[in-house]
Amino acid sequence: MKKVNDSFMKKLDIETAVGFFLLIGICSLAYISIKLGNLEVFSSNGYTIYAEFDQAGGIKPGASVEIAGVSIGKVTEVNLDKYQALLTLQINKGVKLQDDSIASIKTQGLIGEKFVQVTPGASEKYLIAGGRIRDTESAIDIESLISKYVFGKV
Amino acid sequence: MNRPILRMSFVLLICLSFLPFKPCAALAGEATDQVKQTVDAVLDVLNNKELKKPENREIRTKKIREIVNKRFDFEEMAKRSLALNWGKRTPEERKEFVTLFSDLLENTYVKKIERYENEKIVYLDEKITGQYAVVKTKIVKAQEAEIPVEYRIFKEAGKWEVYDIIVEGVSLVNNYRSQFSQIIRSSSYEELVKKLRNKTIKETK
Repeated sequence: MKKVNDSFMKKLDIETAVGFFLLIGICSLAYISIKLGNLEVFSSNGYTIYAEFDQAGGIKPGASVEIAGVSIGKVTEVNLDKYQALLTLQINKGVKLQDDSIASIKTQGLIGEKFVQVTPGASEKYLIAGGRIRDTESAIDIESLISKYVFGKV
Repeated sequence: MNRPILRMSFVLLICLSFLPFKPCAALAGEATDQVKQTVDAVLDVLNNKELKKPENREIRTKKIREIVNKRFDFEEMAKRSLALNWGKRTPEERKEFVTLFSDLLENTYVKKIERYENEKIVYLDEKITGQYAVVKTKIVKAQEAEIPVEYRIFKEAGKWEVYDIIVEGVSLVNNYRSQFSQIIRSSSYEELVKKLRNKTIKETK
């Protein structure tokens, strides 16, 4: 009787251990996928603002928003609004942007990734959540610039 | 039974036929009008044959400056260009900087404007959001390409004033903003003022 009980305990021990490891495995898997996928599970810190561009030229959700090359947030959405690109930017908590800041779409290097560069302004007023960066510079389309001056116009 | 409908459609037709006579007034808003006024005034000076003569050059430049000064808010432009450093300056320094900055703009751009030769200016679109507006235009050169120019304006005391110009998608204020902050970072504000002053002296010589 005692022997049966003993083996039962042993079996339970192994099963618990396996279950325990499995649980750890699932947890790490979830952690990795969240990290790699840049997903945000917990409510993110910061606030959202909007910026309108004539040309979003290659900006995708997830692109970074930078001041002086330092990331201060990211692009969360790229939408079409009245035939213009409306970007939703998630700005980190603690970063204050003047309401005359200029947002420009730039490229890292010559053919690198696109990102939104913000140059802070002089205004005493700051953008609040849901605010809008009025002054924007669209992505410069080098191709069309070149073709314009090379081929001229009809 | 059919009469009123017939009559109504007739009236409607007449109304519609009148519509095409006033498309400009409906399209061009107040903001575009005011920008256009300034641009036209400048063009008038440029096209004036009397003023084109070399001996009248200075009068011409002065006239252009006067017209531009009325529409452009150089203080706002200087403030925006100096950006974060504006707050650190005393009122006297700010005043001095605005003068230097407007001199810089005048010297750089009046010369460019003076090379104007029968380019056409087309007013494309305007967008007003509250106190701010954008007027989109393009300069069409005779043979070559067309240059998109965007005026960023804001309303102050019932008057629209320009605070930034975007040519070919590049903002004037942003251009100076990055240049100024770079100079201030690598040397000092005094150095920037010195540079601007030297440039003005050199240009006006």
